[in-house]
Amino acid sequence: MNLNSRKYVIIIFISIIGIVYTFRLFHMQVIDDQWKLRAQEIAEKRKYIVPPRAAMFDRNNKKVVSNKAYYNLMFVENDIKDLDTVAFAKLVGMTVDEVKKRFIDIREKEGYFKRKDGKRIPNYQPVRPYAFLKELTADEIAKIAPNLDKFPGFYEQVTSMRDYPYAGGANILGYLSEVNQNEIDEDRFYRSGDNIGKAGVEKFYEKELRGRKGVKYIVTSALNNVIESYANGKYDTLAVQADPLTLGMDITLQVYGEQLMQNKMGCIVAIEPSTGEILAMVSSPSYDPNLFVGRSNISKNYPILVNDPKKPLFPRPLQAEYPPGSIFKLTQALIGLQEGVITPNTSFPCNKSLVGCHNHPDARNVSQAVQMSCNPYFYGVTRKIIQQGKSRNNFIDAEIGLGIWAKYLHSFGLGIQLDADISGLRSGLIPDPNYYNNLFPSKKRPYGKHRWAFSTIRSNSIGQGEVKLTPLQMANLAVIMANRGWYITPHIVKSVGENGPLPQFKVKHKTMVDAENFAPVIEGMRMAVNEGGGTARLARIDGITVCGKTGTAQNPHGKDHSVFIAFAPMDNPKIAIAVFVENSGFGGTWAAPIASLMMEKFITGKISDPSKEKYILDAILE
Amino acid sequence: MRENEKLTSNVDWLLLIAYFVILTMGVMTVYSTGYDKETSSFFNFTGLYGKQVMWICISLFLGLLVFLIDSEIYRKFSIPIYIFTLLLLIVVLFTPPINGARAWLGIGPFGIQPAEFAKIGTAILLASYVDKINIRQQTMTNVLICLAIIAIPMMFIILQPDAGTFVVFTAFFFVLYREGVTFDPLVLTFINMFPGMKFKKTWIGTHFIPLLFVLVFISVFTLFMSKTTFDIASLGFYEIPSVVVIIFSYFIIALLFYLIGRNFVDSRSRKKFVIVILLTFSLFSLLSASISTVFNSLQKHQKNRIELLLDLNEEDQRDGEDYNRNRAMTAVGSGGLLGKGYNKATLSSVKSKHVPESETDFIFCPFAEEWGFVGTAVLMGLYLFFLLRIINIAERQRSTYNRVYAYSVGMILFYHFAINIGMNIGLVPIIGIPLPFFSYGGSSMMSFSVMFFILLKLDSQRRDTLF
Repeated sequence: MNLNSRKYVIIIFISIIGIVYTFRLFHMQVIDDQWKLRAQEIAEKRKYIVPPRAAMFDRNNKKVVSNKAYYNLMFVENDIKDLDTVAFAKLVGMTVDEVKKRFIDIREKEGYFKRKDGKRIPNYQPVRPYAFLKELTADEIAKIAPNLDKFPGFYEQVTSMRDYPYAGGANILGYLSEVNQNEIDEDRFYRSGDNIGKAGVEKFYEKELRGRKGVKYIVTSALNNVIESYANGKYDTLAVQADPLTLGMDITLQVYGEQLMQNKMGCIVAIEPSTGEILAMVSSPSYDPNLFVGRSNISKNYPILVNDPKKPLFPRPLQAEYPPGSIFKLTQALIGLQEGVITPNTSFPCNKSLVGCHNHPDARNVSQAVQMSCNPYFYGVTRKIIQQGKSRNNFIDAEIGLGIWAKYLHSFGLGIQLDADISGLRSGLIPDPNYYNNLFPSKKRPYGKHRWAFSTIRSNSIGQGEVKLTPLQMANLAVIMANRGWYITPHIVKSVGENGPLPQFKVKHKTMVDAENFAPVIEGMRMAVNEGGGTARLARIDGITVCGKTGTAQNPHGKDHSVFIAFAPMDNPKIAIAVFVENSGFGGTWAAPIASLMMEKFITGKISDPSKEKYILDAILE
Repeated sequence: MRENEKLTSNVDWLLLIAYFVILTMGVMTVYSTGYDKETSSFFNFTGLYGKQVMWICISLFLGLLVFLIDSEIYRKFSIPIYIFTLLLLIVVLFTPPINGARAWLGIGPFGIQPAEFAKIGTAILLASYVDKINIRQQTMTNVLICLAIIAIPMMFIILQPDAGTFVVFTAFFFVLYREGVTFDPLVLTFINMFPGMKFKKTWIGTHFIPLLFVLVFISVFTLFMSKTTFDIASLGFYEIPSVVVIIFSYFIIALLFYLIGRNFVDSRSRKKFVIVILLTFSLFSLLSASISTVFNSLQKHQKNRIELLLDLNEEDQRDGEDYNRNRAMTAVGSGGLLGKGYNKATLSSVKSKHVPESETDFIFCPFAEEWGFVGTAVLMGLYLFFLLRIINIAERQRSTYNRVYAYSVGMILFYHFAINIGMNIGLVPIIGIPLPFFSYGGSSMMSFSVMFFILLKLDSQRRDTLF
């Protein structure tokens, strides 16, 4: 037994271990890449920096929407030491029980759902920061922040949220809210907690407003704390705020309009005829956009507003479909002239046996008919359009006639959905032959194919019956009148950054009626406002030639709706407007003076007749 | 007597230089793990780095003391020293536990771990006892006393519990092997109990230690690689414990041995041959089964310790039960060929917390991450040189006492090296023991240094020994 040789056994052991380990290290460190990739996964994270959302200016460069700093009161549970709950509750203005409940709520709320089986995994971690209080204003945090050094583990964090210097235009501007899971799945831009436009301009121009997120590459610890920037920030990108939007809106006019509509239900839509830019769009009753700033405000105010019987959240200019009443007669006159079934000098007697009318002398031409809004006259006009005698069969003739009629009206943007830059637009209703062929108002008297003629659908001639328009379409009709035959799709945003409006808002849509046929109708509108016997005398403005047409939409549920559309001045018009006041009666009484105040305010910047203004402001028509 | 000259003239300078190089690399790495751009400087001694510098100074002072004392004193007082370290091990069991183990003696940051010093006491007593045995006529008593010297401190250590140091104590078996303390009497007694068995000597008994080592290594390695169970996913129904698979493979090997071996064995010894194979097979299986049980429980203990320290986030949950191992391997592997640069560890710096215990048990991680394969290869070379140099020194000793002590030091350092680096590169289960002269820690630094300087002193005085 040679014990000395046993040293070789030991030497070989040591050497083998040394060599095996060295090879293993060579493989891990030099050959195999998986550990380097894993190291990146573990420690290198991307942090997204959300830029402040783009601001919005009105047509006169007044800031309508901007951003304001808000503060979250954050905490990290593990950093909290000996929390004096009584003093802390006093500081944040809560009771001790509320403070405790808040901590429990946060703990229970944190979690995520497993993709596989949808099981909820709680994920509250005492090393991570959570918001104890959210969206505090500068004033609120100013009371808390100076005392936070007594409460280790708590700190303030700045966030940016929307701010509305003017309490107007809520239904145009829309609001922001946190993205939901569907929106995150659809667009990889968003991550949980980001804001997205939920209505109005904020929604439609989301991509133009959100800007470009910045990316910061960071090295993180196992507790997700940032240790340092990766590669000294070589690959980082900056967050870029998007260029501001310029709205066609005149915020002064918008706010004025909302004032005028106080205590009334209805809406005002004012458009610049030459561009199609919406100058003001009032939906009444409305709400202060500042009520929808931040999650806590939204969750507090949304239920109140959504349950309000007056429906302040309902965007009437876009979605309310009203019978247009007498303003519809304008289209009938225009189509009649274009189709050649009447001439400017055609006259119809005011035969009240056909359709009711108010007392006025017979209209001797189109202009007078418009001025006096003679119902039997337009009954006659529409009958001539529908029953042109193109077929011997009265029913087939009506079907052909109505087809032509509907096509004209579609070219006015009526009965079709306008391609405006706001979502949720309704198309109104212009009945075409198919509509009546498929309509069965009752079992006793079905319409059906070849079972209806003009006499069946005559109410449409004076804007009653099946015809329905949205206030935006009414305003667009005023635009067409002002432009003598064309319109640009009404839109809210005048310019995205410096790039002007979206391309679809540079296209002129021609109606099927030629410009020369507008003259007698517009003359009638002028007379309605400016001549004795006109229906819209209250819309008159000294020194400005206003052209307008009243309407009174019959309302089976209550008092009639008051309608008025107008433009001014007559030559080279600057503003076209539609005003709709629900349940207020005759169009000339309420809608016309409101429209005139709006137009005067926009054109001259002041009001020449304060009594008219007072008359409107004092009126309560709810 | 030329006292002054003698003190330094016979010192093994190569070994001493290697010691200082490893020491320097270690303290530099401790500095780097706690590195912070704003506050760190080599002259800022607050924090772990400063404490480590202090521990090194104390260790070197103790080393100098050891060097000034005549080495004969350890041999003379080997029993009191051994008993003193045992007493410390007993006393420590009555202290309040820290992190689930009663391993620390002392107050606050200046505690010591008696288990570390027990290694020295055991080494000295073992050396002086083996020195007295006539190796050619050893008895059962000799073997049992040798075993007892090793087993008594081990017993107290596992009571703490400190599994790492417990395992390290098995290094002494290698020393016994080198000295020829044979386990034959034990094995023979066991085998000869069976009818028809009349062995005078067995191969198993003689080479029991290296065999045991190979066995442990194979068992641990296979167990560890397969994570306690083999998942036969394609069959879908059964999860077979890996120990069953290992025993099954032993069975196959035993069968092969029998089929091949029986052709070389004459018919009279055939029965004996079968029984030897059967016994070996059952012994191996038994050992593998117990090893698997021990290591499974050890790993669970480690896991809990980590869960206490960290709140795992989603990303961490992916690493799951093997968090430490995966994070350590990621840190080592991400170093690449040239490393990320000094003070630039991203995963294993103390503040990043990805690799736990990165200044003590996992200090190899920051080193490998910062210096890459170039650095780790140099360190491997250094340790290999250091260990083989100690074996070399051991073999040149004239006295058995010196040789046994030198082998004890060498094998203990080898165990620490192999287990510590092995767990950093995922080849060995995580049982927390420090990397000698490298990891942060006062007790290990002092005990290793004292152990080392005693060796250096014995070596320098080797010629004084008379035959």
